[in-house]
Amino acid sequence: MVDIKNDIFQIILNGIESSIIKISDDTQLIGNDGVLDSMKLVEICLMLEDFAEEKKFEFDWTSDQAMSKSRGMFRTAGSLAAEFINQMESKG
Amino acid sequence: MIIVTGSSKGIGLAICERLQFLEIEVFGLSRDVSNATFPSTSCDVSSYEEVKKVALKLKKEGKKISGLINAAGIASMNLAVTTPPNVSQKIIKTNLLGSIFCCQLFSPLMMRNKYGFIINFSTIAVSLGLKGESVYAASKAGVEGFTRSFAREMADFNINVNCIAPGPIDTDLLKGISANQIHNIVSQQIIPKQFSPSDISDLVELLIDDRSNSISGQVLHVGGV
Repeated sequence: MVDIKNDIFQIILNGIESSIIKISDDTQLIGNDGVLDSMKLVEICLMLEDFAEEKKFEFDWTSDQAMSKSRGMFRTAGSLAAEFINQMESKG
Repeated sequence: MIIVTGSSKGIGLAICERLQFLEIEVFGLSRDVSNATFPSTSCDVSSYEEVKKVALKLKKEGKKISGLINAAGIASMNLAVTTPPNVSQKIIKTNLLGSIFCCQLFSPLMMRNKYGFIINFSTIAVSLGLKGESVYAASKAGVEGFTRSFAREMADFNINVNCIAPGPIDTDLLKGISANQIHNIVSQQIIPKQFSPSDISDLVELLIDDRSNSISGQVLHVGGV
């Protein structure tokens, strides 16, 4: 699962299109200190959809809690990776 | 491929036939597709799950979607105070939520290609505030507001979102409206004539043309108001 997490961090990094930022569990994705604007966020979701397809499951990024800033999966890079892995394990 | 909702009759069907005439690949969505003469699937657009199933199927099949035309709609001419709650809910669910669901679920298929267009449908009842159409007008006013905001959200992905607002077009939606009432509405248009489904198809043809790529977030009033 560490590999999957690293792949997701790499996808986020590619989405940001910057080699300067290092992605870690605590990297905030959205909000005031977030590294993603709304367009980049959607682009990363589409990339994760494709990545999920490779892993033979459907990544759902439209759930009720997805966009909740406090508990949503887009809060940090770590929470996004955790939700991706959670969906992969439950649907796989 | 262009997805057209409400493809089994009225304006939706006329648009599908026009697109076919132009040799553009069409995929119709309608509750009843038994008489469809082009690729279609049964789908109630007011059901998020049903629309999602269609979107997933198209994605799995690798279909390249260039456009979405949300022509599905229902109407019920009635005073607001005499409209049963289930009718109000059905109108809002089909007209407003149906358009929103289709935009939400089909636009990612276009966002991948950074190209596309979406055409929603409103009505002259919104701008004229027609008596007896308040719930219907409310649902379509929602579509207009959604169109304007969604157009901004889609602009980064090179997807144009517009809305066509026709006056009384001769379709099933006009059942129960007298010739006098139609004349009264039409007379309030800038061009006081009743337009046809073919005129709406002309406008669609104009909006899907690449030369219209500077138009987004607009409500186009057929006949003018």
